[in-house]
Amino acid sequence: MTQLLTRRDFLKGTTAALLGASLGFGQDAAAAKKAKVVLIRHRDVLDENSAINPDILQRMLDEAVMRLLDEGDPVKAFGKLVKPGETVGIKTNVWSYLPTPRELEAAIKRRLMDAGIAEDRIGLDDHTVRTNPLFVNATSLINARPLRTHYLSGMSGCIKNYIMFAESQPALHPDSCADLGSLFKLPIVKGKTRLNILCALTPQFHGRGPHHFSRRYVWSYKGLIIGQDPVAVDTIGLRLTMAKRREVLGKDQELPPVPKHIQLADTRHGIGVSDINAIELVKLGWDEDILV
Amino acid sequence: MEDFGRSIPKTIGAWQAAGKDQLYDRETLYDYMDGGAEVYLAFDFRQVWARKYAGPGGGELALDIYDMGSPGEAFGIFSCDREDPGVGIGQGSEYGFGLLRFHQGRFFVTVMTAEEGEAAGKAVLDVGRAVAKELGPPGPGPDMVGFLPRESLRPDRTSYFHANVNLNNRYFVASENILGLDRSTDCVFAEFETGSDKPGYLLLVRYPGAEQAVAARRSFLSSYAPEAGSEGLVQTENRKWVSATVWDRYLIIVFESPSQDWARKLGASINIPKK
Repeated sequence: MTQLLTRRDFLKGTTAALLGASLGFGQDAAAAKKAKVVLIRHRDVLDENSAINPDILQRMLDEAVMRLLDEGDPVKAFGKLVKPGETVGIKTNVWSYLPTPRELEAAIKRRLMDAGIAEDRIGLDDHTVRTNPLFVNATSLINARPLRTHYLSGMSGCIKNYIMFAESQPALHPDSCADLGSLFKLPIVKGKTRLNILCALTPQFHGRGPHHFSRRYVWSYKGLIIGQDPVAVDTIGLRLTMAKRREVLGKDQELPPVPKHIQLADTRHGIGVSDINAIELVKLGWDEDILV
Repeated sequence: MEDFGRSIPKTIGAWQAAGKDQLYDRETLYDYMDGGAEVYLAFDFRQVWARKYAGPGGGELALDIYDMGSPGEAFGIFSCDREDPGVGIGQGSEYGFGLLRFHQGRFFVTVMTAEEGEAAGKAVLDVGRAVAKELGPPGPGPDMVGFLPRESLRPDRTSYFHANVNLNNRYFVASENILGLDRSTDCVFAEFETGSDKPGYLLLVRYPGAEQAVAARRSFLSSYAPEAGSEGLVQTENRKWVSATVWDRYLIIVFESPSQDWARKLGASINIPKK
């Protein structure tokens, strides 16, 4: 069961607590899980036209993964994630209004190759991952997508990015997409995700219009949120989204309705950590208007 | 809908139809949109006809014409997402940040571009005007909108819908569907002036029967206002009042009321037809 949230929780100021600290209900404190997430930002990764500087983005990815894995060299850090001879799928996102940037895909691919993965054994796909041989045969997955709100699930993050692995996507839509966490237990996915990268270069904090996209609700945050735990990464992404919504839309609209799947990915499906108190958030780089 | 391929101009100003026109129905809508399909499926959506236009300098413009089944449903989908000023296209319209939305008869239309600048905005409006001419006569809106008192009503802030997902995106009430809303329920959400800078809100829900309305009120009060007495009236943490009453198969909820009397008066002023 999720904790029932009502508008009155906003009025009481208890929303963040309900979404964070209380999510560990029922867990044995001694056995509580921990997760580490790295948020890295760089003022110059985007120019005034939002064009990406690929060199800076590569450095951001490298620094974040090194810090995540306590490793001093980016190739060695990626070498902790994948081994030569593996087949690796990069689950990207091709949503036309806010796709995974090609520069980010290239940065990931470069480090995978540096770590010894043959180029022809690296898959890069979104809609056809269920039939793509490079994903069917993958022994490791890298999960990379932009951070945005979603009309039904509240937030589209690393957890929801795996919906293309589902046999039926609509089957996961009921109750605000409550059971998206189950995707990580599918045989094609289970135990294979090595890294989750939530791209927050230009996150979308509110949606409207025919495709739930409006450029007025996208901002240049210039960040990446990276971790090995997709739930912890999305928990930080949700915190960021809520902070921006609170700043722009007001306190009573801070929660995008209704991202319960993040909490349930922890408490119902056990695939990660949603308790903010159990997440070590490491912040690197530019900290102006960091919001979280 | 296929006739739009012939009747909607392929050239509008400097913009040319590009690629193949597409048609999606309730089964295939997910192929077209990620993040928005449920919005339409919560209404009586039938089909959407989609065309892209290419403009000077590589710009793109997306035209979507949705057959919503009836003028009331077309008004509904339009009314749930209004933020911008009207531009006089169709029965009701708005334009801002490259997005035109309007409804005409049983059709709801969006024209959108990611391009910035005056020329792209003008192209969006030109396409909208050309499309509106092809959509036939206007039609009547939902009957429930006519039940609302006119006094102090903000008419361009009235929404009509059926499902909880629409309510929560319009005005978040609860993370669970505590009102039991679905395709069988009709809802109007309206804003009223209160004499301060903050409006009061009215949610009017029509259930298939009176029993469901009573059960929904009980569920709402137990989840949202457990301290309310038999009148279903309680003061919330922001010193506003919320009330919930039932009239036959209608549930009437007033949110953000400045006083008990204001809530009672608004609730009593709804012109629900006698049986």
